[in-house]
Amino acid sequence: MCATALGRIHTRVAVLVGPALLATVLSILTGNPGWIVTIGIYLLMGTVLDIAFYPLVIKWQPPWLTFVLGVGEFVILYVLVKSLAPGSEQPGFGPWAPVVLYWISWAIAVSTRIVLFPLLSLSWIENGGEFRTVDWSILPEAEPLPLLAAVPADQAEQPLVRQLSSSGNVPPEARPPLSGVFNRP
Amino acid sequence: MPLSAPRDSTIAVIGDGFGSLMVYSTAVYLGFRPDEVTIYGTNELAIGTYQQFAYNLGQTVLRSESESHFLPADWPTFAELDAWSRRDPSYLFRSIRRKYNPGVPDILAEATAVQRELGWNDNRYPARVGWVQRVLDPVPHFVLYDDDANFIGRAKHVMAAVGHGPLSFPPVLAKAKQDPAFEDRIAQAYEPKQYAAGGRYVVVGAGIASVNEWANALDVGASVVSLLRNPAPEEQDLNTPRCFFEALGIDAFQAQPLEQRLKFLGSILKGTTPTRRAWVSRIERGMREGRFAQVLGEIDQIEPGPAGLRIHISSKYGADPGWLDVTGVVAGTGFNKSMLTIPLYRRLVDTYGLPVDDGRIVMRTNCGIPGLDTPRSRFCVMGILANTVVPHGDTIAGLKYIARRFVADAARAEGLVKRRFVSRLRMQLALASACSRSIRSARVEEQLA
Repeated sequence: MCATALGRIHTRVAVLVGPALLATVLSILTGNPGWIVTIGIYLLMGTVLDIAFYPLVIKWQPPWLTFVLGVGEFVILYVLVKSLAPGSEQPGFGPWAPVVLYWISWAIAVSTRIVLFPLLSLSWIENGGEFRTVDWSILPEAEPLPLLAAVPADQAEQPLVRQLSSSGNVPPEARPPLSGVFNRP
Repeated sequence: MPLSAPRDSTIAVIGDGFGSLMVYSTAVYLGFRPDEVTIYGTNELAIGTYQQFAYNLGQTVLRSESESHFLPADWPTFAELDAWSRRDPSYLFRSIRRKYNPGVPDILAEATAVQRELGWNDNRYPARVGWVQRVLDPVPHFVLYDDDANFIGRAKHVMAAVGHGPLSFPPVLAKAKQDPAFEDRIAQAYEPKQYAAGGRYVVVGAGIASVNEWANALDVGASVVSLLRNPAPEEQDLNTPRCFFEALGIDAFQAQPLEQRLKFLGSILKGTTPTRRAWVSRIERGMREGRFAQVLGEIDQIEPGPAGLRIHISSKYGADPGWLDVTGVVAGTGFNKSMLTIPLYRRLVDTYGLPVDDGRIVMRTNCGIPGLDTPRSRFCVMGILANTVVPHGDTIAGLKYIARRFVADAARAEGLVKRRFVSRLRMQLALASACSRSIRSARVEEQLA
């Protein structure tokens, strides 16, 4: 896929809906907000990468790269979670919890992207990951047109061209040269 | 059974090939009733024309990738269907590495299954459209006539999916082919042909069709001179750069004026030679055995000769290869891309004064024909003739891109109540299941990449 920056953000937000629901349930069950906060950090981190990094280095994303990016994002998220330590003051979010949560979320996200999105939106892949209406890229009303749509076949006979023609009987009066009206400082 | 009488329909598709199946399946998927769509054409199978070309070419796998299939939505892909049908995950690994290309039997099996399940043939009127009349009052619509000017139906929206123009030959070969003495020794890659063991053949062109012909001739023990017109064809797996298959590239392409778009198309359509493992090994073997050579130049004279033909090749890149005695010449030079080679378009240009530039009707950015196309009653073109708007318009992915947007336009114009997600999912799974059963019985072709 050749994802657009907007498409990456659309997709990122949409694929994390499932993991966010899962993390919410886990946070409620364990009484520890660490689960849902981790998904929040994942979303923020991903959005920053989607805006500031991926569009600069990836134009066309082959399928194998998805796993490589997944590993890279895991490393960054792990460092962030260890630094910010969400939910560490309460039980129910042990040291392995963010690791397990990340890979389950990643699997849900990839499945959602492969199976669900093409069914939800016929043009999601074609639109670079954006959830747009199935429509043409540039509507006919917005088509760029040349300033002059067409040169007439009898272009030499246009009144202004005839008026400027050197073959006229009355020689034109000389005017100051183009740059002559300005004095150099 | 096809239709036996003309009828009024919401959508008419002129042409009965892959494009018609794309428009039809997308329309049914989005919520149009099958009887609201009429296909016009004489083929009983949407794969008919393609199947003949693939057979003539000796093609075994497509250059398309896993997403290029005939199901209305993009999941499951071909590689996923193949893996599921044949219980073989290697298709998935290939697809992940972008080394998967669907086999011709798989394509034919899937298209036939989709056609059968959705009743494509039951909504086909078996006639070729020869003339389309625009009517604006009281409701904008089109009246369709066959080649003999018989009325064959009316439709609110029309998609012209008439396929390629006639086969193209370099001028010298085209002229020689008119001569009965040479006619059967000069063939196009897409025409039926048979190579003889020990024969000496010249294959003109550097595209995928030509590479296929090199391999086919070498396989039977013939010798091949590959005659290239360009010194360095680009090595690229798909004719159109990948990002031009999606909005990112198409947006940029459409933002260019027509001359720039034509220039770009000229560069990407000049012929590419993708490296494929199986082809490379066959050609290398031919070179080792002294049965394959490449020459830069063009044929400028043809005479009868002891081997069948005597051809003269001149080259602006080095010494002229001169006169060669050969058994035959095969032109892998594709199709004529001028719209004016297709009678229906020529008549429309004549009657409605449509703007034409470099043999192409100047289309709107929504593939509409100016003067005939309106938002309430669309007249759209798909296929190679639409690639001034969608650069990969002649690929399966391109046909799908155009079909989806055309049907979406028709749905908006008609205020269609779209099929619900659960119903779409059920339809997609039923089609995938039918395709999987068909693919299971299809021949397995060797992957070339």
